Amino acid sequence: MSSPQQSDPVTPSGQKAVLVGHGLALVGAVMALVGFYLPWLGFVGGRGLVATLSGARIGAGPVIRLGENVVVFRGSPTSYLVVVAAVIALLVVGLAFRRRRLTGWDGLTLITAGLLPLLVLWGQFGAAQREAGKVGILIQTQYGLVLVYLALLAVFAAGILHVRNYSRQNPSFRNTLGAYAFMSPATFLVLVFFLIPVVLLAVLSLTDLSSANFGEPWNFIGLENYRRMFSDRFFPKILGNTIFYVVTTLVFFNVGLALVLALLTAHINRRASFFFRLIWLLPRITPSVVYIVMWKRFTQVPPYGIINQFAGWLGIDYQPYWLNEAPWVFVILVNGFVGASFGMIIFTSAIEAIPKDLITAAKVDGASTLQVIRDITLPMLRWPLLFVTTYQTLSLLVSFEYILLLTQGGPGLYTTEVWALTAYKRALFTYFGSNQWAYGAAWGFVLVAIGIVLSIIYLRVFQFDQLVQEPKIDVL
Amino acid sequence: MRVELENLTKRWGDAIGADGVNLEVDHGEFVAFLGPSGCGKTTTLLMIAGIYKPTAGVIRFDGQVVNKLAPKDRNIGMVFQSYALYPHMNVFQNISYPLKLKKVPQEEMRKRVERVAEMMGIGHLLDRKPAQLSGGQQQRVALGRALVKEPQLLLFDEPLSNLDARLRLSMRSEIKRLQLDLGITSIYVTHDQVEAMTMADRIAVMKDGKVQAYDRPEELYDRPRTLFIAGFIGNPPMNFVDVEVVQVDNTFHARRQGLDLPLPADRGEKAAQDRPVIMGIRPEDVSIADEGIAGEVYVVEPLGRDDLVDVQINGAHLRVLADPALNLRIGDQVKLKINTDKVQFFDPQTELSLLWN
Ligand SMILES: Nc1ncnc2c1ncn2[C@@H]1O[C@H](COP(=O)(O)OP(=O)(O)OP(=O)(O)O)[C@@H](O)[C@H]1O
Ligand SMILES: [Mg+2]
Repeated sequence: MSSPQQSDPVTPSGQKAVLVGHGLALVGAVMALVGFYLPWLGFVGGRGLVATLSGARIGAGPVIRLGENVVVFRGSPTSYLVVVAAVIALLVVGLAFRRRRLTGWDGLTLITAGLLPLLVLWGQFGAAQREAGKVGILIQTQYGLVLVYLALLAVFAAGILHVRNYSRQNPSFRNTLGAYAFMSPATFLVLVFFLIPVVLLAVLSLTDLSSANFGEPWNFIGLENYRRMFSDRFFPKILGNTIFYVVTTLVFFNVGLALVLALLTAHINRRASFFFRLIWLLPRITPSVVYIVMWKRFTQVPPYGIINQFAGWLGIDYQPYWLNEAPWVFVILVNGFVGASFGMIIFTSAIEAIPKDLITAAKVDGASTLQVIRDITLPMLRWPLLFVTTYQTLSLLVSFEYILLLTQGGPGLYTTEVWALTAYKRALFTYFGSNQWAYGAAWGFVLVAIGIVLSIIYLRVFQFDQLVQEPKIDVL
Repeated sequence: MRVELENLTKRWGDAIGADGVNLEVDHGEFVAFLGPSGCGKTTTLLMIAGIYKPTAGVIRFDGQVVNKLAPKDRNIGMVFQSYALYPHMNVFQNISYPLKLKKVPQEEMRKRVERVAEMMGIGHLLDRKPAQLSGGQQQRVALGRALVKEPQLLLFDEPLSNLDARLRLSMRSEIKRLQLDLGITSIYVTHDQVEAMTMADRIAVMKDGKVQAYDRPEELYDRPRTLFIAGFIGNPPMNFVDVEVVQVDNTFHARRQGLDLPLPADRGEKAAQDRPVIMGIRPEDVSIADEGIAGEVYVVEPLGRDDLVDVQINGAHLRVLADPALNLRIGDQVKLKINTDKVQFFDPQTELSLLWN
């Protein structure tokens, strides 16, 4: 049942739909390729990989310098080896665990597996930090973070083993263990990565902590930071920007384009649609710095910019720096191209899960392709639609990294500045070298609060509990 | 509506769904496609419905070629094994969907849905969602949805396979009655030969994408043209024994070790070959008697009204329908009497009947 719509359209209009689908797929593919990968291949004025990475220092170290003020932390070969070793060690222990026999050696392996990556990372983060200090900011720690997570996982596994051994000796403890054991990973994550930071944020936002009075004792100043925030001259502008950014990107890309893509790829043949989907995933798997460098290249003035290159060929003389010309367009495109693939994948799998008989029945009942989509496909996508809307609203609300890299909130004053970016800038990034940590925390905390309220509203309004099916088997 | 299929073929690369199907369905006729799983029944049906585009061949409705006609323009009703009810619509909306697409006015739509629902005995269920119905009720709704637009052709794809045995029996006669009353040309896909025999005016027996035979049920039963048809039609299935047919004096005999059967002249003459042939004989044409061929009871399967007894005769096995009152046990010695007016003969190489070709 999960195969795509392989029914052969019989009508000429059906064939036209297929052609249009192929055409759009082709255009999309070409666009994606040109937009993202050709700058690397020396497409523009003979400047290619080398030029783009000019000044890049790619060695064995944990850090790549990209251009003037960007550093990418990527981990060193040593760290990867260590991680591989850690994973093997974990597997060994895991097997011992399954045999229900643990020895002192297993304990030792575990400690090594847990601590070694941490130690290595510690050193490497230091190096990255130093390098970053020299050039400005540190971006892109995702590879390093993966290592950290793995290390945490190892330590966590060690903890579980301890509990398990303990419970074996204490049967009463053991009876309630199951429930806690299943909840503990999620609880741990929520605690460490959400609750604790939020509490810290809230506390911090009530103080006057900043780099100006760093080293002196800091004071609690009540709601002063919040008063300052709401009376900021640019507060309405930032609020408006945020709403505009979230709604537009969501409607046109993260949900809209995602749905269109999923529907299109469901109606073209299997191999073409696989290729097409893969292309739309490229922006997501491209490191953000690289992705943004490409977009900037795309919009540059002659002789670098690709848009202007085409404009030149077409004999158009107006060749501005497009990013300054239409900053919102690019902010939304940049985010939308990444965001669309999430919904696309969810919608595609939901569409493929619709029983083929239903589609056949509708066609025999007299529905055209569009009517099938309207009356059968879309109603059956109700839950995925709500899910993607909810999830993507929240993630757009707190996303700022692409905007930071692309426009830094500009051009000019606050043109494309969104809430999350403001919070980041106030706390960690200023032109005058003063980091207003506490004030930034206030911005951040309000954002968190909005996020939580929105989540609750979504959960209520969309009745997410209905997503969870009643168990088919009555619990006795 | 009269349906003609001419050399209808469907291929996906190397996979063959239907391979040169030729047949015609007369106006108001009820035709069954019968065959084992994967023989191309659904494929052929979906081509008729316009869902699959034929690789080759022609489909005609009342003489008009409809190959290029979209499903929605074919005026067909279809019923599926999975029911294929729209889960987000209630029963009323499900049944009225084809009318809604045809832009039938509200008032008329309501009347027609209610009439069909009444006819199907689901008038009280109109507000329910499909998930709140039993399998039998869902199938009635599906049937109602297929009938409501008054189609000229009804297609059934194993509509009763998911129902329990009793419900299947009653739905079987109900569908047949309905089809007779409404006089709608119908094509009914099934792999259940009892269903095909009892319901259809004609049966198309399919195998490997080809139509093996297309005839009235009695014909297929009494005069099977191939070994496959003989084995597939009839329950319990026909017995097959390797024999040699020889002429002794003026009569023909079917012979093998432990068996010597005088044959009626017409059958014997056609079956006489200079090499061994396959003899087919249905279980109901063999009986336990006082005199006859000696054998030993190998297995007894009680069927209720009869016992199905497997009798071993010198290495050959014959299934026989016997009276349970005989109380046969494994190992009992019995004598068999064979109704030689009903025996069939097949060429072992070509698997074609020696009697009916
Ligand atoms: N979309 C397809 N692509 C490739 N091969 C297919 C496709 N659909 C059907 N087939 C093949 O065509 C043959 C006939 O399939 P079909 O569904 O018509 O069988 P069927 O007679 O309806 O069987 P069943 O009784 O199991 O429903 C099978 O061998 C099947 O594997
Ligand atoms: Mg089938």
